Amino acid sequence: MHAAPDTYAIDLPALHSELAMPYTLTPGRAAGTFLAEIGKRRIIGSRFASGLTIAPAEDFSPTDGESDFEFVEVPATGVLTAFTQVGGDIIGLIRLDGCDNDFPHHIVEAEFGKLATGVRVEAVWAEGVENSILAITGFRPAPGTPIGKARPAGDTAAPVTVILYTMKLHYEHAYGPYYARLFDEIRTNRRIMGVRTSDGDTALLPPREIDDITHRRTGTWKACKDTGTIRACSIINMEFLGQTRPPPYVYAEIVLDGASTRLIHMITIDSVEAAKTRIKPGTRVRAIWRKGEREGSLRDIERFEVIDG
Amino acid sequence: MGRHVGIVGVGQTHHSRRRTDVSQAGLVREAVDRALADANLSMDDIDTIVVATGPVLFAAVNQPEKWVVDAIGAQLKPVVRVTSGGGAGFAGALAGYYQVAGGFADRTLVVAYDKLSEGALQYSISTLYDPFWGREFAVGIMGFSAAYWRARMDALGHTEKAAAMVAVKNRKNAMANPYAHVKKEVTVAEVLASKPLCWPIKLLDAPPISDGAAAIVLASEDVAAKSTTRPAWIHGIAYYCEADNAAERSMLLSEPLAIAARHVYRAAGITNPRRQFDVVEVQEPYTCFELSYYESLGLCPPGGAAELIASGATQIDGDIPVNPSGGALGANPIGAAGLIRLIEGATQVMGRNESHQIKDAKLALVQSGGGWANLRGCAVLGA
Amino acid sequence: MTTAGLNRVAVVASAQTELRPAWRNAQHIDLISSVVADVFKGTGLTLHDVDFVIDSGSDVLDGRSISNCGFLGALGAHHKEESRVEEDGLWAALYGVNKIRSGASSVGLIVAYSKPSESNVDAYWSSMVEPFYQRPVSFGQRAASGIQAQRYCAEHGTTLRALAELTASRWRAAVEHGTVAIDSVPSADTVLASPDAAVPLKEMMLARPVDGAVAVLLAREDIARRAARTPVWVTGMGTSLDAHSFAARTPGRLSSCEMAAKMAFRKAGWSADSADVAEVSAASVVGELMVLESLGLAGPGRGLAAATGGRTRVNASGGALPADPIMATGLVRLAHAARQLALPELYGLDRPTRAIAHGTGGVGMQNHCVFTLGI
Repeated sequence: MHAAPDTYAIDLPALHSELAMPYTLTPGRAAGTFLAEIGKRRIIGSRFASGLTIAPAEDFSPTDGESDFEFVEVPATGVLTAFTQVGGDIIGLIRLDGCDNDFPHHIVEAEFGKLATGVRVEAVWAEGVENSILAITGFRPAPGTPIGKARPAGDTAAPVTVILYTMKLHYEHAYGPYYARLFDEIRTNRRIMGVRTSDGDTALLPPREIDDITHRRTGTWKACKDTGTIRACSIINMEFLGQTRPPPYVYAEIVLDGASTRLIHMITIDSVEAAKTRIKPGTRVRAIWRKGEREGSLRDIERFEVIDG
Repeated sequence: MGRHVGIVGVGQTHHSRRRTDVSQAGLVREAVDRALADANLSMDDIDTIVVATGPVLFAAVNQPEKWVVDAIGAQLKPVVRVTSGGGAGFAGALAGYYQVAGGFADRTLVVAYDKLSEGALQYSISTLYDPFWGREFAVGIMGFSAAYWRARMDALGHTEKAAAMVAVKNRKNAMANPYAHVKKEVTVAEVLASKPLCWPIKLLDAPPISDGAAAIVLASEDVAAKSTTRPAWIHGIAYYCEADNAAERSMLLSEPLAIAARHVYRAAGITNPRRQFDVVEVQEPYTCFELSYYESLGLCPPGGAAELIASGATQIDGDIPVNPSGGALGANPIGAAGLIRLIEGATQVMGRNESHQIKDAKLALVQSGGGWANLRGCAVLGA
Repeated sequence: MTTAGLNRVAVVASAQTELRPAWRNAQHIDLISSVVADVFKGTGLTLHDVDFVIDSGSDVLDGRSISNCGFLGALGAHHKEESRVEEDGLWAALYGVNKIRSGASSVGLIVAYSKPSESNVDAYWSSMVEPFYQRPVSFGQRAASGIQAQRYCAEHGTTLRALAELTASRWRAAVEHGTVAIDSVPSADTVLASPDAAVPLKEMMLARPVDGAVAVLLAREDIARRAARTPVWVTGMGTSLDAHSFAARTPGRLSSCEMAAKMAFRKAGWSADSADVAEVSAASVVGELMVLESLGLAGPGRGLAAATGGRTRVNASGGALPADPIMATGLVRLAHAARQLALPELYGLDRPTRAIAHGTGGVGMQNHCVFTLGI
């Protein structure tokens, strides 16, 4: 049973972290065609060689992966085959007329308690939405609507090739007792604390309970100096999404004096050419602390700089 | 030792910078269709499937095998996702190997892919770093790859020029590879003069960003014959790691790779890799790594890589050709790259490599890896 | 299939952290390293004896890419073979068993962990469905579980109260045997009074995400006989992945669970009705009933009877409802099932010899893995 970090002196709130990445997703021929047509209020499905007809269109049969299909246009009416309510939002499975499959969508303009499977439904179209399944706001009960048929789609628009998408993920990362002490010391004492390895005097940075190599308990706390030696470095000369500072600068993995593992940071430079020979493994560097109040993170070190001589 | 396992069918897509005609799942389907056709099998013949891709953030689909299953018609079969960053394809093959060797399956399909055009590559790889410790200073794969090269440069003589020779060799070899999409011969001078990205890595030291998929069929000895009279037998395969920020982690040698090689060589009876192997495929992906792998794999002594590349021995007509396919410099769909190296090695010993068949190749060495340059493996394939 | 000459593989030992809604004072590596350190106790084995580590965790839950890469030291994997199976930990165990069965390795460490308290669990599920049709309409784990429950209750006339009573009994069991942090055991009324989650399911009828880690030590026969008081043999394994499209799956059934069970039982040479113990995972209380029926522990619609009063003792640990360390839940089931065979007196069991361990993954329980165990 995990017991070790039950007692500790410092309780920091969690570290908030957000991963927000942009994507350009390709839907493929079938979904791309469906998405191209849906803004025109035309629902495109796939009719596979086996006879299976499904909508929205897919390149591959969801039951067996068959890939031989032609496009059909299916009506915007069907039946509700199952439903539930999640946080006030009714989600149902819809079977469009002429189709052999169900698919999920919102159920709108309906009272949950009065819904029943088998009820006829029709699409409610959104205004001005294109290239998205949300061109249909949802399906609403429409008792008595005539039953439509799937028919050959004829000419279809060129498939949408790129859907812009952003995935945003939020985290509240726990510090745990070791990171809490580390960053509290940085904030309050401008001191970088590691813990000794299980079998030596040098410090592991970041500190941790278990030595990575021996898998034994690490030793006592030890303050490392804010000077150190570069073990590995590269000169960043390119721009990329998510970059936090303009190039050029040096990406450096630095072993602080007193430590045996690497701290990752950066060194500002004026000239790429000069940096090639001046900044390299073995080069001595010192931390330049940020002015003003510290926040308790590696950002409290603004950068490292080369110790001349 | 369990059951003998062979690669009996292979397939890969024609890799490209951006495939806007297929979805991620559709891309996978292409490679699977090719591998099954090559193995003279249909999906019905497949017992189990391993799906390997790079990290979720490459493509915004969490546990994508659960989506891909529909596209490959594998509903209700045993399907598992194995992931290991850049080495995912190789790690997937390793998992598949044990499914067959351990008697869980007779035929296992391993498919690996990445559709890198759909995401922000370096940004997403930077999330490899601890959010508390260094992530904001991360520069994707390239930052640390270049930094570790810099650490080897002076100590081992892995000069920019030596690495440039790797670029010249692999890019030339890729010209004949029907699946590669970067096809341009370069000179040492051009590599050296190309734009520094993360110096010492320059533009022409770096692989492309690719969309691509690859698949292999693994089979036990009992059933291999249905697919081919000449499988590529796996004589040894292993994938080792080292803790990312362990004290005294070697910057000079890839210790996990050296350990994997020792293990695999023992299993395969390799005592002199330089002389015994007919062909080698390594997952560079940056030129500097190929130099390092020469040493970690024992093709030359530590510090001997520059001399090895300069000697011409690793050229197609050399005594130990490395990356006759052009390697990752020709195409680099990251999650698939390790499996592509296995395919290239396998087809060499099967006698039907499409880029540059090495005459009478009987024994191939394949290397792959990923993570923070701390996950590394290799395999020995034989006719 | 020729499988003669392959090694037998046993579960030698396991270790588990307490399963808590949030381990706020510990990081992933703290949870992981503690179970890795603990799993050897009493076995005479040490980390030096371990040939490989297979681990399960989720980049999306962890908030970092290739997250295993940052946890290798805690996993005890330094300079060993390591692989990440991005499925529930029971699939990692399956990998490990194959590796030992092949003869390539002797001792394997299987680790699974989860800290959903650090992330948004709904995002974990919604990022799993394809991004063009299902994700934009908010179809995810809750909707799938709700629809399963709607159908199940409509078809079999199961009442919400019966579901609440089963849920409450699982929480009681977890307090007794599950090593789960529970402030107060809910009554059926408390379950019924919890908010709607996915109608008809109440919030407490869904598996509760918790933080925790589990380690299982696997070994080949000769080592297991020395290291374990009672080696628990892995006698069968099966897995199956259903169609991605939830709507394309056979309604009212878990076809992939049926397939996985069939595969495992075929290898074991016995069927569900001779199991003494079953530890199963589920996304919801109805999901648990469907799993029991798919495993063959009950006929269609008869899951409730089997859940609490059948021949087979089901979820003595409480199962996934009170504690679902996503990505580790199935491996926790394996640890508990093995423990019940090895230490039956702790559970009031009379000489059990056969057990089933079950794991699941994917939206609407798309994926299933079944182990059969024997002593």
